[in-house]
Amino acid sequence: MELKTVELTKQYGKKKAVDCMNITLTEGVYGLLGANGAGKTTLMRLLCALQRPTGGRVLLDGQGIGSLGEEYRGLLGYLPQGFGYYPNFRAIDFLLYIAALKGLEGKAAERKARGLLEEVGLSREAKHRIRTFSGGMKQRLGIAQAMLNDPRILILDEPTTGLDPKERVRFRNLISAFSKGRIVILSTHIVSDVESIAERILVMKSGRIVHCGRPGEITSEIRGQVWECAIPAEQADRYVAQMNVSNLRNERDGRTVLRVIAGDKPMPNAELAEPNLEDLYLYYFREQDTGGGQVRERDSLAAASGAAPGHRASRDNGAPAAEGLSGEASGCGRDGEWKGGDVR
Amino acid sequence: MRKLMGYELRKLFGRRLTQAALLAAVLFSALFTVSTYQNKYASYGGRQASGGEAVALDKEVAARYAGELTDEKVRQMMDELAPKSGPQGLNAIYLYQNAMQSAVTARFSDMYGNWNGLRVAEVFGEEISIGYVDGWLSASRDMEKSFLFLSFAILIMLAPVYSGEYGGVDNLILASRYGRTKCASAKALAGILAAVLVTAGMLACNVGAAYLLYGREGLDCSILFAPLALTEGYIPFNITCGALLGYQALLSLTGAVCTAGVGLVLSAACRTPMIAVVASAAVHIVPTLLPVAESSPLFRLLALLPVYQMQFEALMSLGQLKAGMPYAVLALPVSAGILAVGYALSRRIFAAHEVA
Repeated sequence: MELKTVELTKQYGKKKAVDCMNITLTEGVYGLLGANGAGKTTLMRLLCALQRPTGGRVLLDGQGIGSLGEEYRGLLGYLPQGFGYYPNFRAIDFLLYIAALKGLEGKAAERKARGLLEEVGLSREAKHRIRTFSGGMKQRLGIAQAMLNDPRILILDEPTTGLDPKERVRFRNLISAFSKGRIVILSTHIVSDVESIAERILVMKSGRIVHCGRPGEITSEIRGQVWECAIPAEQADRYVAQMNVSNLRNERDGRTVLRVIAGDKPMPNAELAEPNLEDLYLYYFREQDTGGGQVRERDSLAAASGAAPGHRASRDNGAPAAEGLSGEASGCGRDGEWKGGDVR
Repeated sequence: MRKLMGYELRKLFGRRLTQAALLAAVLFSALFTVSTYQNKYASYGGRQASGGEAVALDKEVAARYAGELTDEKVRQMMDELAPKSGPQGLNAIYLYQNAMQSAVTARFSDMYGNWNGLRVAEVFGEEISIGYVDGWLSASRDMEKSFLFLSFAILIMLAPVYSGEYGGVDNLILASRYGRTKCASAKALAGILAAVLVTAGMLACNVGAAYLLYGREGLDCSILFAPLALTEGYIPFNITCGALLGYQALLSLTGAVCTAGVGLVLSAACRTPMIAVVASAAVHIVPTLLPVAESSPLFRLLALLPVYQMQFEALMSLGQLKAGMPYAVLALPVSAGILAVGYALSRRIFAAHEVA
């Protein structure tokens, strides 16, 4: 099974939420990382045929998903971000309703719904009305409804929002067990979730996939740029304001250990650290500067070096391109755009 | 499909606003019925009565003259019932003592309470059967108001059918296998069914209440020989009270499905239920606000719209077709058309909806 986008574009007015995207997804779990407004939700909606693209196509095994219609939607499971629900429905009724929409009937639907309620830890609340549920419980119900039809393509938008750590672990295990032979795409701001579940990470920025790779490999992009350094605690605020700090840890001896992402050694006592996905996230999505509102992103460095944004680090530091990059031009090929080709 | 319809009906009737709107319609209807019954007045042979006693007195008077209306019977009624000119020379036609007296003076009296010289054939053109029709005709008038209220309740009920999903559940529905097909159909069908059910329920309640209050009397009598308040601007051809109720029931149901058709389209087209309610209520009421005289040919078209079907009297007052059928029967094809368009269009709009 192969889900492919061909020059997929979605534009709202002048803003391109998804910009001429070419990706090919095969079986596996894909973690979609990106800041707010990067276009993750729009991409997911386009993949679910919930929005019509302004340009380009989404193909499943070479066929347009629009023409596949019910057949495609029958393969799909989707958990939207902040999905609506019916407050007066009981959890089991809600799942049975969604099951009916998905074409499951009778005892099979009932069995499946109850099984999933068990799996997401809501079996005791099966007959409770949804209006009495906490945010986390609603989210778990949402996860259950997405999996009702044993979807071959499972798309989860911020699935771990509102889940406590125990539930997040349960969710990860559920997805890991479920993902075999399927395409699972999940977006989240909680980088550690993606890190532990996803086989491949897609980093999305301004409507484009700027990087793709396995979690271990993708972080190699910034190997040599993550530092740990101890400073007096009273100076911590100043350093945090000036540097790209991904973590701050207070020691008992009155010192603070900063984890800094910087191209050069930020201070004499700094030591190189092994980068993780959170560092990578911050590397790509540094917040706007406090001054003139100029975005301090590594793209400026990328442009300076003549490389495509987001791809600079791996080329600069000689790290191999992420697995699955075909190396073939994607066809979008405008200046300044990543030309790594299909993401596989 | 049936299962999906069941869920849609459950959603429809589970909403607080729908329940409140339907309850309000029922309460208004009950209020109209009780108020009309309590306000009944009759005087005859020195006796005066109101409410249920007035109804009994009216029935007693009507029983004396029940049957085919003849010239002899008219003159007898004029002698026995017609009041002479009232205080300050008030036109005798407008004096009310009881239902039979008002009926006979409305047609056969001059302003002084004397026979106006008209014969039955001249007034009605054919033989008519008379009796106690005041109760059922009053009930019919009340139902007219009730159904107008109900049509707004139906619009409130149907407004969220599609637009209510646009708050987030549309993501789940439209991404599911049958969301754009069977679910869209189930929603429309459930909406239409719900409209028919509540209208039939309201009809049954009203007819049941009228039966309890007024009995069976008059159902086989002509609507033409009725008290003045019920004849002015009323249906100009001879049918029995029973037939009138039949037409009213039919038109209330066709009006309900028409209303449902319009409501469903606007529900699918509007982003929120509140906008859908306002838009559909505006579309529903606009025909009554247009400056079109009832004598205008344009009114004959406007009267076929849902709001007039629910009011029914305006439509029935447009007379008969050449074949002798009431003009109002044209509401049937019009309703079928509006319903078909409403069903197909609402379904199509929802199926093509892009989540936002």
